[in-house]
This record gives sequence, C-alpha cells and structure tokens, in this order.
Amino acid sequence: MKLLEVISVTKKFGALTAVDKASIFINQNEIVGLIGPNGSGKSTLLHTVCGRTIATEGQILLQGLDITKQDPQDRAIAGMAIKFQLARIYLEKTVRENLLISLQAKESIWSQLRNRSLAKFEDKITSLADEFQLTEYLDEFAKSLSHGQQQWLEIAMAMASEPILLLLDEPTAGMSPKERADTAILIKKASKKCGVLIVEHDLDFIKEICDRISVLHQGNIIATGTSAEIEKDPKVKEVYLTRV
Amino acid sequence: MLSVEMCWGQAGIFTFGQAALFGLGGYTVGLITKNSSITDIGVLLLIAIVIGAVAGLIIGIFLFSGKRVGELYVVLVTLAISYIFERLANSWTVLGSGNGIPGIPSPTIFGMEIKSIIGLFILAFTVFALILFICIFLVNSQFGLTMNAVRDDEERAEFFGYKRSRIQIVVFVFAAVLASIGGALFAVTESFVSSSMTGLALSTTIVLWVVLGGRGTFFGPLIALAVLQAVNTKMQEVLPSLWPILVGLLLVIAMIFLPKGLMSLPATIRESLRKKSTA
Repeated sequence: MKLLEVISVTKKFGALTAVDKASIFINQNEIVGLIGPNGSGKSTLLHTVCGRTIATEGQILLQGLDITKQDPQDRAIAGMAIKFQLARIYLEKTVRENLLISLQAKESIWSQLRNRSLAKFEDKITSLADEFQLTEYLDEFAKSLSHGQQQWLEIAMAMASEPILLLLDEPTAGMSPKERADTAILIKKASKKCGVLIVEHDLDFIKEICDRISVLHQGNIIATGTSAEIEKDPKVKEVYLTRV
Repeated sequence: MLSVEMCWGQAGIFTFGQAALFGLGGYTVGLITKNSSITDIGVLLLIAIVIGAVAGLIIGIFLFSGKRVGELYVVLVTLAISYIFERLANSWTVLGSGNGIPGIPSPTIFGMEIKSIIGLFILAFTVFALILFICIFLVNSQFGLTMNAVRDDEERAEFFGYKRSRIQIVVFVFAAVLASIGGALFAVTESFVSSSMTGLALSTTIVLWVVLGGRGTFFGPLIALAVLQAVNTKMQEVLPSLWPILVGLLLVIAMIFLPKGLMSLPATIRESLRKKSTA
C-alpha cells in the first residue's frame, strides 16, 4: 500500500483551474519533490493534501484512508505534519514551549489540565532539540532564533508528532549554504521515520535529496521520475529547466 | 474581568458578551431569592454556575462549532448578545423592567446570615481568590499553553492536531461560568440587580480594564480595574457627561500606544532606553 496517493485531484477557484487532474504518490520512507514554475499549482496541490483547501475533484488517500474532505486536525491525527513556507512557530514562546505545543496537541484537555504528559515529553523535547541543533536555545524565545533555526524549529515541531507523512513547503527558503546543507541532512534523517513531500524552488537541493520528482506546469503533472529522468524530459526542459 | 482575560487574554476570543453573562448570573439569583426561600450562597452559586455553563455552551457552540470565524464575527455576535440582554432586562416585566430586582436578601452560609459589609467583603474576596487561583492554575497547566497556541495562531494549532473548536468552547464555557458567578455575587452583596449591570457599557469597561492592564496577565487588569474604578466614581461626579468620552479616548490611546497594556510598560521603557544607548 502506498503511503500517500493523490488521485486525479482538481482544484478550481471559480473559473480558474489551479490544479488539473494531478496524481502523485509517495511510498514509505521516500522523499518526493514537487517542482514547477511560479503559479504552476505546487502550493495549491500541497494545500489540498494538508487540508488547507479541499479538492474540487479527485481523491487523496493516506495509507488507504480517504482524507479528501477531512479537516487539517483530522489529517494531523491521521499522521500528517506540515512545515509552512514562512515558518509558523510561536515567536513569543520559548523553543521548549513550541516543541511542547506540538507534542501535546493530541492529548485530551483533561490530561493537559492534570499536566500528566509533561514528564513524558521532557525526554522527547531534549532529543528533538539535540537532533535539530536547538539544545542551547531551549529556553530562549523563538523570536530570538535566526531564520534558519526558526525553520528547523518548525520542522522539529512537525516531527514531534511522529508523523507518517511530512509535508515541507520550501524548507530552505532564505537559508545560508551551510544551513541548507544541514537541512538536507535533517530531512534525510526524517525520511527514515516517514515519507516526505517537498515543494521547493531550489532545484539543486531537490535533486540532491529527492528519490523522485514530479513537475507541475499550469496545474498539470507533466513528468515524474528520478532527477536524471526529469532532467532529460523534453517537456520539462521546455517549460521549467530552461527558465531557472 | 477574569472572564474576559481568560477568553481574550489567554485564548484570543475577543468577547463583548461577558456583561450579559454577568447579568444572567445576577438576575438568576435575583429571581430565585424573590420567588423562593433559597438564600444559601453555596446553592445560589451552584445554580449560577449551571446557568452560566449552559448559556456559555449554547453561545460557544454557535460561535465556534463550525469553521474558523474571524475575531470581528465573535465581537459582533457577543456585542449583539449584550445588547439583547440589556434590552430584555429593560423591558421584560419578569426581570423588573427598568427597575431591576431590588431587595435581594442577604446570603446565608450554613444557616447563618451574612449581613455586615465586612462579612460580604470576605465572601466576595474568598470566591474571587478561589477563582483567581483556579485561573492561575489553568494558565500554568499544559492547557494554558494550548489556549495560547490557539490564541496566537488558530490555523497552525489545527495543523498540529488541536481540536480548535472544542478548546474554544471549553474556554468560553469556563469564562461564562466566571461571569455568572460574578453576577451572582454582585446580586447578593449589593442586594439588587438592574439592567445597568448588563449590556454594552459594562462589557466595554471590562475590555478596557484588560486592554489597559495588559492582555495575557491577571494582575495588570486587576490594577487597571482598581485605579479606573477609583477614578471613575470621582469623575462621574466632576465630569458626568465628558467622562465616558474620556474613557473611550483612553481605550483608543491604550490600544495604539500600549497594545500590551501597563504591565508591558517597564519592558517597553527598557527596550527604548537600550535602543537609545546603542544608537
């Protein structure tokens, strides 16, 4: 069974068709990249997968479970986690609190009121902070972190819930070359625990870490394959690679 | 005030409806003591808790059970609720029309009547302290962090798996219970209830305390409440027609220049001094 199956998904905004019968799939522990020129429908497709917007037609299956019409919280409970394009972390909270916010999201209100899981999560916070190079900032406010560290914190928050599918929207945007290289290592590590879908403009980064790449153009998937196959594809060369 | 602070300060639910819930608690106690011999404060508070919880649940489900709604929507609906309750209190004969319900008997505890001002003060202070303790406990629990997560970014919280609507309904019900208890205490300590204890004026005043004191803290709004109420009494004598306008201006100025309230003033001054010294 595939981890994620997006089957012939269409998303229309009035007369505009942003995504047109797009199909992609992700296997367990696979990193799949989604690339395409600006306005090709990458973000819209990602949003239909994560539940920010509901597909007009088609079907989205997560481990065989139909999540097409589900709310984001139900998809999160089903095992999906997302890192947004602009890091959406809690700037006025400490790094520790940010990680705790993610860790306790699926706890019942009653359990939260009794602080039952606080001790249980402490080890998890320590290991996540260690993995994402945030240990020395655990008690710092998230707003005091650098841009790259904020992105890592959001990926750490996404990984905190032990997802089966991690969605990353431009994870290296605005990062230095060193941060970008470190991020590649972090994502590869994450893929040992779950499948990863990445929307990214940085083609070198995508080629470096993805097992497969799908190319979107005007809402259609025009090619899918390994980076070598994509680079040779004449349609991709025409609409995308020559413009980068 | 604690009710608005829990709703708005902690969970981001900007409500103007707490005066209606305060009035509901007050009028409930007024009607019960008028139509029965119940004066036991424990029983009266218990009834106020149940009534407040039911009202909070109905309003909460209406406001939050569907898709995410904007802050403006919540403000408008709760404003409308306050307005409706005030009109109802002013016109419905069961609620004493404009005269309210006077002559509410002194409360009793274990059969003993609490009549003296000091006794009533101790009663009100004890209940307030207990509620403040519960609020501080909630805010410092894991659930406090959950409320803040929803306050700071509702959508993000949903993507982590938080049941946003359930959390907002729970907070709203809790805040409604606090407001209703407040109204019940007001009724038994002041011996009367009237439409002036409900409605838009009180709702706005409570929000003003929280804005001035500092949203997200308990002690800032408490200080603002104490100072404003002390000034309020004097100013209503000296400048009866101008004072409400000045209060409105104060609210606008506070929101523009001190959005985090008085409690943020030391940090704001420190920050501006630091900037000056590094410039």
